[in-house]
Amino acid sequence: MSRDVYGRETLQGMSWDLIPVFFWLGCALIVAHALYRAFLAPKKR
Amino acid sequence: MTEPRAANTPPLEAADRIVRHAGVDRAFHWIAAVCVLVLLGTAFLPVLGLSFGWVTIHWVTGIVLIAALLFHLVRALSWRRLRAMWIDGRDVSDALAVVGSTLRRDAGGPRKSGKYSFAQKFIHHAFAAVVLTAAVTGALMLVRIDTPWWQRDPYWLSNATWGVVYVLHGLAALLLITMVLMHVYFALRPEKHLFTRSMIKGWITRAEYSEHHDPQRWQVK
Repeated sequence: MSRDVYGRETLQGMSWDLIPVFFWLGCALIVAHALYRAFLAPKKR
Repeated sequence: MTEPRAANTPPLEAADRIVRHAGVDRAFHWIAAVCVLVLLGTAFLPVLGLSFGWVTIHWVTGIVLIAALLFHLVRALSWRRLRAMWIDGRDVSDALAVVGSTLRRDAGGPRKSGKYSFAQKFIHHAFAAVVLTAAVTGALMLVRIDTPWWQRDPYWLSNATWGVVYVLHGLAALLLITMVLMHVYFALRPEKHLFTRSMIKGWITRAEYSEHHDPQRWQVK
């Protein structure tokens, strides 16, 4: 967020501080799936 | 799981192969993949401190991606192709069966799918939504830069509307970081090698077809 020339709040875009959040979210989902496949996933029929 | 072929096994005959992805579809996939990686690199590497002239590479690559998406959309808009990708009741039932087997800890394994499984359809639709959002908002943002064909016009939309466009473009880009990581991870998993190979070479074997696909749901010649 920022303010325009009239002092109104305006959207500027996404914060790039979130880049590590989305990167580590991807890593966490990968680890979660790998653990699921190793220990929880049903075996083949 | 399909056993790897021994080194002294004779080469597969053409009749043993089933085409899963036509050459034109594989070309689209890899062009889109390269474009997305270049777009993510040119978007985020400067943010992470690597300075280079990223703007021209970014918008030119964006135009290539938009052209590829338009081509794919036109090609996909046939009834047969739409039906192959549509998530129907049986796909949802398959997904619920896997969840149920996991919770019960039984050996219920995944059922045989049609050409695409529920997970493959889901990830396709997720990529479609996110990449199309990035492409449409990116196309709008082209108005704000000078190109050989037009002069920039930053006042084409109101500040508030540009803000929404930038938020959607940035959110799509951030989501793509997560999604690309996961997509590459699944492509590299051993049990998915047949699908990765089919996206490179185009085919799966008849044995793989019998093992993974329900012939009622994916009929091949």
